[in-house]
Amino acid sequence: MKKTPPILDIKGLRIALPKGADRSFALEGLDLTIEPGEIVCLVGESGSGKSLCAGAIMGLLPVPHVHIAGGGIRFMGDELVGKSESEMRQIRGQSISMIFQEPMTALNPQKTVGWQIDEVLRLHTNMNRAERRARAVEMLERVHIPDPESAYNAYPHQISGGQRQRVMIAMSLALSPKLIIADEPTTALDVTTQLQILKLIRELQEQDGAGVLFITHDFGVVAEIADKVAVLCQGVMVEQGPADQVLNHPRHPYTQALIGAVPALTPPPVKPVLNSPVVLKGTGLKKTFAARGGLLSGKRKAVVAVKDLTFQLHEGETLGVVGESGSGKTTVSRIVTRLLECDSGKVELDGKDLLACTPRELRAMRSHIQMVFQDPMASLNPRKRVVDLIAQGPIVHGADPAKARDDARRLLELVELSPAAANRFPHEFSGGQRQRIGIARALALEPKVIVADEPVSALDVSVQAQVLRLLADLRDRLNLSLLFVTHDLRVAAQLCDRIIVMQKGEIVESGITAEVFANPQHPYTQNLLSSIPGRDWTPPSFRTDAA
Amino acid sequence: MTNLDAELSPPEPPRLLVFWRRYKRNRAALFGLAIFAIVVLMALTAGIVDPGDPLRRAGAPLTPPFVDMATPLGTDQLGRDVMSGIFYGARISLLIGVVATLVAIAIGVVIGALSGYFGGWVDDVLMRITEAFQTIPNFVLLLTLVAILGSKIEWITLAIGIVSWTAPARMVRAEFMSLRSREFVDAARNLGVSNTSIIFREILPNALPPIVVYASVIMALSILLESALAFLALGDPNYASWGNMIGQGRAVLRSAPYCAVIPGIAIVLTVLSFSLLGEGLNDALNPRQKKQ
Repeated sequence: MKKTPPILDIKGLRIALPKGADRSFALEGLDLTIEPGEIVCLVGESGSGKSLCAGAIMGLLPVPHVHIAGGGIRFMGDELVGKSESEMRQIRGQSISMIFQEPMTALNPQKTVGWQIDEVLRLHTNMNRAERRARAVEMLERVHIPDPESAYNAYPHQISGGQRQRVMIAMSLALSPKLIIADEPTTALDVTTQLQILKLIRELQEQDGAGVLFITHDFGVVAEIADKVAVLCQGVMVEQGPADQVLNHPRHPYTQALIGAVPALTPPPVKPVLNSPVVLKGTGLKKTFAARGGLLSGKRKAVVAVKDLTFQLHEGETLGVVGESGSGKTTVSRIVTRLLECDSGKVELDGKDLLACTPRELRAMRSHIQMVFQDPMASLNPRKRVVDLIAQGPIVHGADPAKARDDARRLLELVELSPAAANRFPHEFSGGQRQRIGIARALALEPKVIVADEPVSALDVSVQAQVLRLLADLRDRLNLSLLFVTHDLRVAAQLCDRIIVMQKGEIVESGITAEVFANPQHPYTQNLLSSIPGRDWTPPSFRTDAA
Repeated sequence: MTNLDAELSPPEPPRLLVFWRRYKRNRAALFGLAIFAIVVLMALTAGIVDPGDPLRRAGAPLTPPFVDMATPLGTDQLGRDVMSGIFYGARISLLIGVVATLVAIAIGVVIGALSGYFGGWVDDVLMRITEAFQTIPNFVLLLTLVAILGSKIEWITLAIGIVSWTAPARMVRAEFMSLRSREFVDAARNLGVSNTSIIFREILPNALPPIVVYASVIMALSILLESALAFLALGDPNYASWGNMIGQGRAVLRSAPYCAVIPGIAIVLTVLSFSLLGEGLNDALNPRQKKQ
């Protein structure tokens, strides 16, 4: 076998950040090689500099604020640092291509899918119209899009999210590049679609023998696809090695902490929750979104978000609501807190129907059911101090303001934040800290039920683990009942006593978490469970840190 | 080891200080602030500079500037002191600027907030009313209102406020529409906060920065509107106002141009100062909008 040079060889790459950033270099001395036919995963939490690395290779850094300060990037033995813009333009697309995270924004909504693939070929090859069309259709076929001929003439909004990502892949592979950079290509997709896309990337890469630099934050995805793994922490590469070694025998403490934070797919021990009294009961809930027309225009087509949903939440229990996007799980969380008006059905909280309450009664009832929101930044009023945010609920319900603020300070301690946080504004906190504030606010009213709508999906994995642990801890200490909405089956497995699986507004399966995971009955549940990335990999546990 | 999440970042400097730092980065805005301070000073010291009535005869008619030290900026055809008119006129301009803006913003905020927050038929009705006001040219409506209400300074101020609320209403409505779907509003609803509190305590503070910026524009416009009215001799004749002075200076524009030019400069500088002030406020209040 002939020795070929590596496709990509990064040596001592340093990327400088503008003055006033939290550190002076986004990347400090990164060394990375990608051999032909190899998938290298670059893993790191947000702010670790992984996306800037991709930008540096593509020559797409926002110069002069962010620029390469040292080191080299050799592509097929050819130095990329210092190449002119026009030379880089030739290489981009032709030899190095990129798959972006959000296929909807990366595709031009005004042009058909076929036109956009055609454009790539037109700019970089001398093919004539018929050849280009044949090639485009062939590419669509290779990415397994059903009926490539009609997809060729479709606009991006006419095809599904997974198909758009397939189109993006078809576009980036149309010129048979030597290197593919995939920047979180599956993060915006549902698990079942994610698995298909990962398989597709692997399959195509094997056919073409290209090298892939796969940027991700998700160790499950890494376990699924990687040959080699490099872990970035704050711009410094802390560990690099074959996937098996890094995943199962990580050596650096940071990698160990990261992997230790990945929720294992082992459900909690079964608690005798079914004997406790029911605190929240939903019966026959229905919600249809009728797209509202104007004063004079007629009604448009209605979308059924939830049809005939019935569930029970016992005291001290955590009920997980899992499903993919569009399954109606978020709608459920908004209906039971009556942030959305329901079409029909009943939500009984301690035997009282929440949906039949008058506005005045409802306001009083609200103190019994509280919510933790998905986006901790958006759910905290940016113009209010933390102590006021937390004390607001009790004050509205008639508590003495001074006492409510004292209680708020105590709650901060309960969610493991320093009391000094009380007089700050939300933007001064990190994502995980904000979510703790959100939890403290929900607890301030001493509710019986907490509805948590994807409370950890906006957080990095290590922070996610801390927040989950806090939630579980508080639940046990305060005997809370949790309705936990999530798309992440790993998170659900970790926290929920029982789960209900939703598809298209309906419950397809429900039961004790351990039983559902061990023996799923419904084909959809089976499909979901078999799509969890890295499901065959059990993260080794490191209980070195007591954090 | 992961840096545990409980550590806090160092505290930020007080908000006012941050605000001032951002504001002073804009040189033009500092200039605007300086002129604005001068105008305020003029309004405050008018009584000291000329304790008498600015409309009385102070010297020989049509004395040019810098000739008689009793009337340093000259006198008009009726012998009234131009400088004293400028100082007293600053009071009227500021009064009209501030009060008319408050009226316009108050109406605009209430209508825009209700319409943006509730949507539906409330929005439909309120916006049709707003559009009805918008279709009538500002100045024509102002003339009509003044004709009906009379030329007293209070009515003029109110009328200026009434003709300029539509733009802020639309802006507030747009802000409310985007803010009401934010999760913090749901969070407040979920705490049992009433609609009134949500509108005024939760959403309004977040919608305020663009309103404050726009207020400076309305202030400049209302000063101009008052001057235009006074120029047409529809202003309150009992008060010295810059527009009045220009209107009367028009008669002697050929022989004594300073009668119209000096108050003209005063108006230009004041309006300029408001618009520069607005720009500075925009930089200071919406730092993310403008990337350097």
